[in-house]
Amino acid sequence: MNDTTAQDPSSVRALMSWFHVDEQILNRVLSEALSHGGDYADLYFEHSTDASIGLEDGIISRASTSVDQGVGIRVLVGDQTGYAYSEDLSLPAMLGAARTAASIARGGGEVQPQNLTPRGHADLYSIDRGWDQVGVAEKLPLLQKTEALARAADPAVDKVSVSWGDVEERILIVNSEGVLTGDLRPMSRLFCSVTAVKGDETQSNGWNIAGRHSIAWYDDAQIANLAQEAVKRTMILFEAKRPPAGELPVVLAAGASGILLHEAIGHGMEADFNRKGTSIYATMMGEKVAEDFVTVVDSALHPYERGALNVDDEGNTTHRTALVENGVMRSYLHDRISAKHYGVEPTGSGRRESFRHSPLPRMSCTYMENGPHTRDEIVESVDFGIIAESFTNGQVQIGAGDFTFYIKNGWLIEKGKVTAPIKDVNIIGNGPAALRKITMVADDMKLDRGGWTCGKDGQSVPVSQGMPTCLVSSLTVGGENNA
Amino acid sequence: MREELLARAHDAVKIAQDAGADDVVSSTGWGRSLEFQWRDDKVEKVQESTSKALRVALYVDGRFSSHGTNDLDPERLKRFVGEAVELTRALEPDPFRKITPAELYEGRQDLSLDLVDPNLTVDAPDAMTREARLDWIKRLHDAAHQHDSVISATSGMMDSHSLSARVTSNGFEGTMERTSVWFGAECTIQDGEKRPEAWRWIGGLHRDGLQGPEEVGAECLRRALSRRGQRKVTSRKTTMVVDPESGAGIIGRIFGALTAGSIQQKRSFLADKLGKSIGSSALTLIDDPFIPRGTGSRLYDGEGIACRKRTIIDEGVLQTYFVDTYYGRKLGWEPTTGGASNVTFKHGPSNRDQIIAGVSDGILVTSWLGGNANATTGDFSFGMRGHLIENGVIGEPISEMNVTGNYTDLLQRLSQVGNDPVPWSAFRCPTLVFDDIQFSGL
Repeated sequence: MNDTTAQDPSSVRALMSWFHVDEQILNRVLSEALSHGGDYADLYFEHSTDASIGLEDGIISRASTSVDQGVGIRVLVGDQTGYAYSEDLSLPAMLGAARTAASIARGGGEVQPQNLTPRGHADLYSIDRGWDQVGVAEKLPLLQKTEALARAADPAVDKVSVSWGDVEERILIVNSEGVLTGDLRPMSRLFCSVTAVKGDETQSNGWNIAGRHSIAWYDDAQIANLAQEAVKRTMILFEAKRPPAGELPVVLAAGASGILLHEAIGHGMEADFNRKGTSIYATMMGEKVAEDFVTVVDSALHPYERGALNVDDEGNTTHRTALVENGVMRSYLHDRISAKHYGVEPTGSGRRESFRHSPLPRMSCTYMENGPHTRDEIVESVDFGIIAESFTNGQVQIGAGDFTFYIKNGWLIEKGKVTAPIKDVNIIGNGPAALRKITMVADDMKLDRGGWTCGKDGQSVPVSQGMPTCLVSSLTVGGENNA
Repeated sequence: MREELLARAHDAVKIAQDAGADDVVSSTGWGRSLEFQWRDDKVEKVQESTSKALRVALYVDGRFSSHGTNDLDPERLKRFVGEAVELTRALEPDPFRKITPAELYEGRQDLSLDLVDPNLTVDAPDAMTREARLDWIKRLHDAAHQHDSVISATSGMMDSHSLSARVTSNGFEGTMERTSVWFGAECTIQDGEKRPEAWRWIGGLHRDGLQGPEEVGAECLRRALSRRGQRKVTSRKTTMVVDPESGAGIIGRIFGALTAGSIQQKRSFLADKLGKSIGSSALTLIDDPFIPRGTGSRLYDGEGIACRKRTIIDEGVLQTYFVDTYYGRKLGWEPTTGGASNVTFKHGPSNRDQIIAGVSDGILVTSWLGGNANATTGDFSFGMRGHLIENGVIGEPISEMNVTGNYTDLLQRLSQVGNDPVPWSAFRCPTLVFDDIQFSGL
């Protein structure tokens, strides 16, 4: 990415002074963590401030802020993990947590921490002012403008609520192999919910935009688009029906449909599940799993996107990783433990919710690359099916391979034409089977700007997903009017 | 610790008042947890956590905001609260935002809910040793791994002890303390191309009375083995039997539509239904905050309102909503409580197996997979896995199927309620039977 600046090592120094630590203190804590014979230790310092504001019934009705800080200390012995954290950043408290984490190992301290060298990296989300420098008075107009536009968009709009959230994270990562790096991670999200009433029928829906942008990104055009989408997607529900039940061709519209990749393949390619043999993909590496034109990528290198990351939460540089390339299964997503297990370089996929958790292999921005078809060709090829446009949530069973995603808005396709709107229906399929059934991929890939959050083992992390329009020849649609 | 938390909460109220707040609610918390995991032949992970936090809710010149921090350094805390009061002044006045009226604090029960197991507290003299915990999870693991087709099994145990205090500028003071312990296993088996997984975790606020590791591990393995040969069957309309552990996944969803907030914001399909039938006569739901050792038990709610036992739905007829003070004021309704504590059902005479024995043709749902519900319209669509029921016997495993409908219709189709609720869940749902439900598959 060439339009990004770099965070030089001096920014790491600035983070060290923020946390009141120097090389000597960090070495003390790392040595303590290794004192029982661990073969690796890392420290993850985090300070995060977040703010949220709500507007409801025409007034700003709530606001909240919070501060959360601490250091997570991890000790590894092979693939065994000892973990403890301290919210108190004084040296005695950190040494106490280090001793607790050290207890996973039972021996003497043979490994010594290496010399620490501050390391810079690319900056994919440089903003002029961190969110902790932006006062609440500057944020209120974003909510008020969104509300006014949504209310004005249609006379049937009865209730509008708008919510705002921003987070500024400071991260410092240190490990016993000499890595010393850090990151400043801004995040924000604007959500508009609409309820409309027509006669005795009520419908509600919402839309949101999110990313690692500065406040300047939320300009009038973004806000107008947000309000318009929220109202449009609510009003269409008055006409929408449930599609018929059963197996149908499903066209995935460009953008948020990447939820299919996230659930059907992304999670199954996280290396921890494969290292343990519990993923349905555990033995498929190198095999042809999809048509030649199917390439599925996970990459944290997309500037200002929600899933973007300069370094992962283990201090590794982030990458573009092809999970499936030209139809062939290519690479898992690795954290340190799994990369070591497989004898490969980490893919920069070790992520955690906060200093309270140890890292796991996770996705960042997951999408399919463009294919040889066009959206029109794909729609025209379907005699009877649906096109899925917006989604609320999805889930997968890693081993059985069954995945689901919930369609909020979509359309029926009849004889090659998009016809009536559909709503509120769950789709279910099986990962490897669905990959084989991707029969057409268009050339209109886009990343979705919605605020997606991925949950795994009780840890939530922000992610992005994207998709060109594509056709899955058959998935089970949870429709209504079956026999 | 209790006195320390109370003192810190009182201090925060004073700091906020000195900074100009008219009313203040302060809550402080402390928690400690210990977690052990075992996988295949060794310890996978050991984690120990201790947390402290403070929150203040501020009412300043008719404006409202709330703030939390885990940085409890006295100087920085003072600055944090002062800045929070300033931030509140920058907001708009909201005439409906007021501190909980003191009369709603009155009538708090003086009951012992038995929420603390003395063996699980941080200073317990008879706490399980590290060796005993590792032995426990190894036995759990071994029981779950006891079959040739098992690829991997992971077991774990987690216990916690927490305390919280709540103090307000209008005279409320309260503390809550509880412990909990959870343990269980997950295993994955080879079944052709597929590797079906299953889990079994149990727990409670006390350790005694829980099953042992061998039973829990064996149940995990039994569940995984029962998934062998799972397949999709044809779409059909049939009887749906919902396992007790899965009941919350479908019935729990209606609670969002029972809050005053969702009604005032016109996002509830249950608005205007008070005193009306919203379900079959088999449906009686009670919000019971006073169950000894209950996971959701409490004496006061999140706003300090003294808890009461309430019938929510009586033989299908809606009796009350969950009304907090804010939306109560907006609607002109008397507050009740903002949300459920423990939910109990009126039981029928039979357990799951007895019920299934009487079903000639149906589907048993053992877990949900994704899906969602629309609280505004009552529309829902959920993925599921489970088993066919044929002539009163649990048959082959099925997967990749959806259940789709509307709650207005679904709740009327409830024909039987079992007598076998999950004891460790705050949502004490027994086996449920619904007639003529649409399943979509092949």
